[in-house]
Amino acid sequence: MDDEKIIVCRCEDITLKEIRDLIKEGFTTVEEIKRVSRAGMGPCQGKTCGPIIAREISRITGKPIEEVYKPHNRPPFGGIFFKEIVGETDEK
Amino acid sequence: MNVAIFEEKEFLGGQLIKQTHKFFGSKDESAGIRGIYIAKNLINEIEKTENIDLYLNSMVMGYYEDGVITALVNNKMEKFIPKKVIIATGAFEKSIPFENDDLPGVFGAGAVQTLMNVYGILPGKDVLMIGSGNIGLIVSYQLAQARANVKGIVEISDHIGGYLVHASKVRRLGIPIYTQHTIVKALGKNKVEGAIIENIQTHEKKEISCDVICLATGLMPLSDILNQINCEMKYIPELGGFVPIRDENLKTTVENVFVAGDVAGIEEATAAMLEGELTGLYAAYEITGKFDKRINTIKERLKDLRKTSSKVVNGLKKLNLYEDFIVEPHESLGDLHKTGIPEEEKIENLLSSKKERFAILECFQKIPCNPCVSSCPTNAIKMDGLNEIPKLDYDKCIGCGNCVAVCPGLAIFVIDKKKESVILPYEFYPLPEKGEFVEILDREGNLLERNQVLSIRKMKDKTNLIEVKVSKENLKHSRHIRVVR
Ligand code: FES
Repeated sequence: MDDEKIIVCRCEDITLKEIRDLIKEGFTTVEEIKRVSRAGMGPCQGKTCGPIIAREISRITGKPIEEVYKPHNRPPFGGIFFKEIVGETDEK
Repeated sequence: MNVAIFEEKEFLGGQLIKQTHKFFGSKDESAGIRGIYIAKNLINEIEKTENIDLYLNSMVMGYYEDGVITALVNNKMEKFIPKKVIIATGAFEKSIPFENDDLPGVFGAGAVQTLMNVYGILPGKDVLMIGSGNIGLIVSYQLAQARANVKGIVEISDHIGGYLVHASKVRRLGIPIYTQHTIVKALGKNKVEGAIIENIQTHEKKEISCDVICLATGLMPLSDILNQINCEMKYIPELGGFVPIRDENLKTTVENVFVAGDVAGIEEATAAMLEGELTGLYAAYEITGKFDKRINTIKERLKDLRKTSSKVVNGLKKLNLYEDFIVEPHESLGDLHKTGIPEEEKIENLLSSKKERFAILECFQKIPCNPCVSSCPTNAIKMDGLNEIPKLDYDKCIGCGNCVAVCPGLAIFVIDKKKESVILPYEFYPLPEKGEFVEILDREGNLLERNQVLSIRKMKDKTNLIEVKVSKENLKHSRHIRVVR
C-alpha cells in the first residue's frame, strides 16, 4: 500500500506516511503527534484519526494502546458564537 | 422529579430511528418490533410526559466542577444545575485507513443509513460493504431493499462478525461475504469507481467495481463529556475502546454522573435500552429511595440478554463487573460462520418429519431472541431459555406460517410436501401478484427455477408471507424469490 495516498486524519489532511515518519522521529504518543502535525485538531477533534494513529504507534513501538493514547476533551464541545462567550446580547 | 433531555439533533431517537429491521431480544422487551417503531413508542412516551423538558437542537458544551452544565439552546448559551447527570451520548464510527480513502463515495455505515432511512436518498448504485458485524449485514440488507446493488461484504476475520441469521438473509439475496479479506485501495479519480480487496492470507487481490464504499468497521464510545470531567476510563477493546469505570448501577467515578448505552461500551441496542432504564431509575433511587425492585428486575433481564455475548461479558469482567457470570459456550457451527449458509446435515435434520406441512427453523446460533414461541397458535415451539435454540414439536405444528412472519432473523420457512410449496418471508417491493411467475432462489441467491405464487399474506409489520409453488427437489433449497417484470 502506498501510505502517501492513505489519509489518516481526514479533517486536517494528514497521510499515513507523515504519521509513520513522525513516529520514526520519536513522537510516540497521539498527543505528541497532534502537537507537531495538527492531526486530531480538526472538526471531529481526533475521533476518527486518534484510534488509527494510536494503533499505528502501538504496532511500531510495541507499546499498548492505553500508554500512547489518552483522549482529552475541553469545553466547548462544539462551535459557538463569540458573542455568547463575551456575553453580548444584541444581535448587532 | 424533573428531567431535561439535551439532544444535538432536531429530533429524538438517535440511531434507533434508522433501524428498519426487527429487533432480537425478549418478547417482554421489544423483540420482533422494528427499531423505527420502538423509537416512535419511546418518543411518544417522552412527549406526553409532562415533567420532561426537551431541548432539541441543543448541544451540551461543557460540564464544570461547580455542577454547571452549559448547553447551546437555540444558539444561546444556557446554564443548568442538575442533581444527577446521565450521559448517553452513544458511539462514533471507527474508520480504517486504505489508499484513496478520502475519495467521495467512501461513507460510514451510519451516514448511509441516515441518507437512506431518514432522508430517503440512496447514496449510490453499487455498494461494497466493509465489515460483517451486525451493522454491516443489516445495512447491506437495507441497501438491497432500497434496490442498491450490494457487490459484497468484506470481512477481515475468518468468520462473520454479526448474527448468522442476518448473514443468511443477505446471502440469499446473492450478496457474497469475503471473509479473511480487507480493502486496500479505493479506485477512481474524482469519486469512487471501484475498490481492490485483498485476501489477507494469500494476498490475492480482487477488483470490485462500485460507486460506494461503506465502512461498517466498528464503533467506539463517544466519551467527550466523560473525558472532560476526568471520569476514570479504561481501555477495553471488547467494549469498543475507552469506557468509563462504573459500578453495576452504571454510576461512574465522578459524583452524580451515570452512563447508559454505547458510551458505556458497544453493545446491541436492546441492552442499551435496558441500561437506560436501569441508570435512570437508579439516579432516581438515589434521590427518592424508590424503585429498587424494578432496578433488580432490569439487572436480571440484562444478564439474561448477555448470556451468550462472551465479548461484552469479557469486557465487563475487566471492569470487575459480572465477575461470577458464566457465558454459555458457543457451539461451533462449522462453515455457517464463514458463509452464512447452514451445513447440509443441519438442514437435513430439520426435514426428517413425516408430516406433509411443517415449519423449518433455520435458527442454529444461540442468540437472545424468542418471538417465535408466543406466535405459535398450537404451542409447538419450545425454548428452554431466551438464548436457547427453539425446538419444534412436529406433531403439533400445523404449518400456519405465523412464526415465519414474526422471526426477526427471517430464519423460519414452511414447506408443504404434498402441495409442493414453500412459505417464505418477504420484505421487498414490488410484491408479486397471486399466480405470477417469480424466480425462486436458493440460500446463495442462485436461481433454482421459475414458478408460481400461490398466495400472499400481507402483514401489518411488512414481513409479508409468500407461498410459492416449488418442484419437489427444490423444496428444501428455496429461500427467496425475485419478482421479474
Ligand atoms: S480526522 Fe483527525 S481531527 Fe478529524
